[in-house]
Amino acid sequence: MKAPYSWIKELVDISISPEELADRLSLCGAEADAKPFLEGNFDNVVIGSVVELEPIENSDHLRKAIVDDGHEKFQVVCGAPNVAKGQKIILAKIGAELKGGFKIKQAKLRGIESFGMICSETELGISDDHSGIMVLDDDASLGENPIEYLKLNDTILHLDLTPNRPDLLSLIGVARDISCLFDTKIIRPQFEVKESAETADEYIKVSIDDPDACPRYAARVIKNIKIGPSPWWIKRKLLLSGVRPISNIVDITNLVMLEMGHPLHAFDYDFLGSKEIVVRRALNKEKFTTLDNKEHELTPDVLLITNGEKAVAAAGVMGGLNSEVQATTSTVLLEAAYFNPVTIRKSKNILGINSESSHRFERGADPNIVCQVLDRAASLMAEYAGSEILSGIVDCYPNTIEPAKLTLRPERVNALMGTNISKERMIKILEGIEFGVKDKGTLEVVVPTFTADVTREVDLIEEIIRIEGFNSVPESIHNSGPLFTPRHADDNFYDSSRNVMTSLGFDEMYSPGMADAKLLSKVSGDEPQLKVLNPIADDLTVMHNSLFYSLLKAVSHNISHRNVNLQLFDMGRIYLPGNPPYEEEKIGLTVTGKADDHWYNKGRIFDFYDLKGAVDSFLRLSHILPIDYIPTKHFSLDDSCSFELQLNNKTIGYAGQIKQKIAKQFDVKQNVFAAMLDFRLLLESIQPESIFKSLPRFPAAPRDLAVIVDETVEVGSLMDEISQSGGLLLEKVELFDLFTGTQVGYGKKSIAFSMIYRSWEKSLESDEISKIHKNIADNLNKKFKAQIREA
Amino acid sequence: MPDIKDIGVLLAEAESAISMANSPDDLEAISIKYLGRKGQITAVLRSLKEVPIDQRKELGAATNKARVKLEQELKEAAEKFSKGDKKANFDPTLPGVSHRIGAIHPITKVLKQVNQSFERMGFEIAKGPEIESDYYNFEGLNFPPDHPARDMQDTFYVEGDMLLRTHTSPVQVRTLKNSKPPVKIIAPGKNFRNEAISSRAYYTFYQIEGFLVDEGVSMADLKGVLNAFCRDFFGEGLKLRYRPSFFPFTEPSAEVDITCFLCGSKGCRLCKHTGWLEILGCGMIDPNVLENADYDSEKYTGFAFGMGIERVTMLKYMIDDIRLFYNNDIRFIRQFI
Repeated sequence: MKAPYSWIKELVDISISPEELADRLSLCGAEADAKPFLEGNFDNVVIGSVVELEPIENSDHLRKAIVDDGHEKFQVVCGAPNVAKGQKIILAKIGAELKGGFKIKQAKLRGIESFGMICSETELGISDDHSGIMVLDDDASLGENPIEYLKLNDTILHLDLTPNRPDLLSLIGVARDISCLFDTKIIRPQFEVKESAETADEYIKVSIDDPDACPRYAARVIKNIKIGPSPWWIKRKLLLSGVRPISNIVDITNLVMLEMGHPLHAFDYDFLGSKEIVVRRALNKEKFTTLDNKEHELTPDVLLITNGEKAVAAAGVMGGLNSEVQATTSTVLLEAAYFNPVTIRKSKNILGINSESSHRFERGADPNIVCQVLDRAASLMAEYAGSEILSGIVDCYPNTIEPAKLTLRPERVNALMGTNISKERMIKILEGIEFGVKDKGTLEVVVPTFTADVTREVDLIEEIIRIEGFNSVPESIHNSGPLFTPRHADDNFYDSSRNVMTSLGFDEMYSPGMADAKLLSKVSGDEPQLKVLNPIADDLTVMHNSLFYSLLKAVSHNISHRNVNLQLFDMGRIYLPGNPPYEEEKIGLTVTGKADDHWYNKGRIFDFYDLKGAVDSFLRLSHILPIDYIPTKHFSLDDSCSFELQLNNKTIGYAGQIKQKIAKQFDVKQNVFAAMLDFRLLLESIQPESIFKSLPRFPAAPRDLAVIVDETVEVGSLMDEISQSGGLLLEKVELFDLFTGTQVGYGKKSIAFSMIYRSWEKSLESDEISKIHKNIADNLNKKFKAQIREA
Repeated sequence: MPDIKDIGVLLAEAESAISMANSPDDLEAISIKYLGRKGQITAVLRSLKEVPIDQRKELGAATNKARVKLEQELKEAAEKFSKGDKKANFDPTLPGVSHRIGAIHPITKVLKQVNQSFERMGFEIAKGPEIESDYYNFEGLNFPPDHPARDMQDTFYVEGDMLLRTHTSPVQVRTLKNSKPPVKIIAPGKNFRNEAISSRAYYTFYQIEGFLVDEGVSMADLKGVLNAFCRDFFGEGLKLRYRPSFFPFTEPSAEVDITCFLCGSKGCRLCKHTGWLEILGCGMIDPNVLENADYDSEKYTGFAFGMGIERVTMLKYMIDDIRLFYNNDIRFIRQFI
């Protein structure tokens, strides 16, 4: 909503600057920003007269004009079709700086020197009309500043209104709040309706099929109209408000809507084709062409204004092409109606039209203002379109909508707000915004029908506090609530997981959640995808069902920016279809590239063991028992390196190497290792904190054991065997060396373990240890054909 | 009697002495101390004959290994000195051994700080699903069907007659239904809105919602909590401004501005020359919302507030493009280590 400052001043007597007014309005519920209507430097812009005009050779549209500004004559080349000798026009001389920093310079067109420019509304920033130059009235005096002459040096208050404030969708509404804030009166425009003897009801009958959708329909008939341009004062108000002037009749309906907030529509009576108006719902698949020349196929959700047979307007949204006011129009049916907000909202959604009219009706117009609005418009039409107002308003209003009556308890206001506002002050505020108030201890409040949103006591409290201002609310502390706030295990686990993952060197990423359906199926195959019904883009049509997708996206992004060494984790959710659809919390991690190089240590190329080490360390630091890596087939993972992660035989996730052909879909050509773990399953598996274990009282005996086995023998099975054969006295076994090469022989590998033996009851004798150690070696030899290497 | 463990200890001692050596003389002294005629390792080798036969072989091998290793290291260290650079093995300006530490995403950082601020005021964290029903996201929060207020939040709908929540306020409805007053909750989480992607808008964002319902809760209490939070989060000395606004689930509603911390409210690019930064929305919980959760709205009142995390993160760190949060560029994320 654009409210010109000069127009506000006509309606309410205030003396503060537009900027201060904007600040004040912002603090009472109408976010306002004051901006000058025109930008530019108009010092070198003057009113001139076209004294000579002649065509230019070799050009079909350019003409050479001589413009007189009263002091000097200027030769100007002009291409506008409407320029004519004798016109008063606006001349931008050399040095003028117009809208958007457009500087006027001396120029040469088709060999003719041009010392300025004759302006259209576009160059001046008045509107986007550049169909021709602006032609001024004859009374404009040469040499004068045209902006001042046209009274366009104004400031506009741009109001960013919330949907609960339809009462501010008019200049009078804005003036009402201002009058209350500054304790002054609204100055309403005065007008008089002079009716002719002929009565409107001889011309039109109104009936409403659906009074819920259209509680009121009122009309006037106006005859002997002379369609023409509006006077400048009307055009000016429209231009300042951002509405394009069209013709006197249309402009007047718009002016009255801006002034009083209620939409009107003018039909060309002769094109109605009947003497009746029937308001009804559209038939299924009924066709209708709106005045913007677009044909629509309707449903019964659209409410129509018809002539008894065919539609002439989409009620409250837009008129029809078939009954539009034209240059030849002589009789007009002027409509002011009240439509149900929900009806209009459904209607405009089906039509796909957002008009000034639908905007007001869907927020709630005033059913009881329609006759005043008709009178105001009719009186202006009589004055500015030379027309005759037929007697009477044809008004179909089957069930009068009465103002709501509410009770307000002053103490409730102060209890809810924590304030100390007096009852007198509350009454003053409510009366200031034109609510009726009777003080009967509690306040009996009559809510005017222009505030559609005030239906309860709490809404009245809102009205009072927005005028009084939130600054009047003190600051206090509510001393209640639980003494102790619990912290949930999942919140702690989220926090600790992030700490652990970063301490392991992983950077945290945030997956946005939506995915390209095709690309996603390349990652997760036939895994069902949750479709977004109204996607924002063609490549964001589904929700991701695997964190591998988003990990790859992030890897791909970074590689394309030459960051090829990555360790990332994501504490994200995946989304799956179902009845109802559901989501799962996951922890995703990925490693790719190599570790950073350092002077003391060259970074190694990441492989599966880096991923595995990270997963295992994460679990250990999260107090979760070790897991098993069970080879499995997984759509995203390469068969040679694809594992189901099992914790006590329960699957808690997957890890491995992303298939190269999948990575390539993301333009990633290096090896990518990734794991996805289930957050909730891990949360359930966190071990209680262990109790203290006393320090050993007897010494540990370290021994090493090196064996050579076939390359195919898994280290894990050797370690299992060692643990088993070692029994209770074997405290720990660790792999400390692994190599292959000529010294161990083709197809063989050498593996070295360090073991710690200890008893909790005594110091172990050397031969006791040697016995166990030998037993282990023998068993390894028996089961794995392990050759024991001598140290 | 020597033990195999002692060999390890001796070796480690000797190695650390080598690394500290400042001259060939120091190295000579180390050599004598461990490997000389009366050296400690020599002594172990000499005493081997006293060791029981079954242990002798193992201990002997370990001691010999240690001796060979030490001799080699002494030789290498001596070579460095012979090259004339006495300190060749020590340059204190070399970077220390680094341990790669991952970076926390800036949204996590800010969420944590905000959560902690409210937790210290006694708010409990609650969470809810991101795939929501129309009831929890809209109707239960007093958004009537076919009301223009729904245009304030462009919604993504998914299969199964569900939607992606447009704010974390559904947690309010869910929590109120399952609790008894006093209820004092914050609900951080991820949301989605069908908005064209630009440097100022993205289709997903984080929000933190907070609310308190009890007997006798007033707007003044809301100001108490939010003023305390803003001072804690943005710093002492800033001013707050409450402007009336509209949200269907609160009445009255307000938007909160803080004085611009970049220019001290003189007006700059960050605050669009207004001196103020809009940071959150709040209000008294609408009676309809309380009644929907079966609370007697005459007896119980409450306040609620919501804050966009990306917005305050962008303000705090002067980030100029919201898309940076979701393309996961490590050049961005690692700035927040």
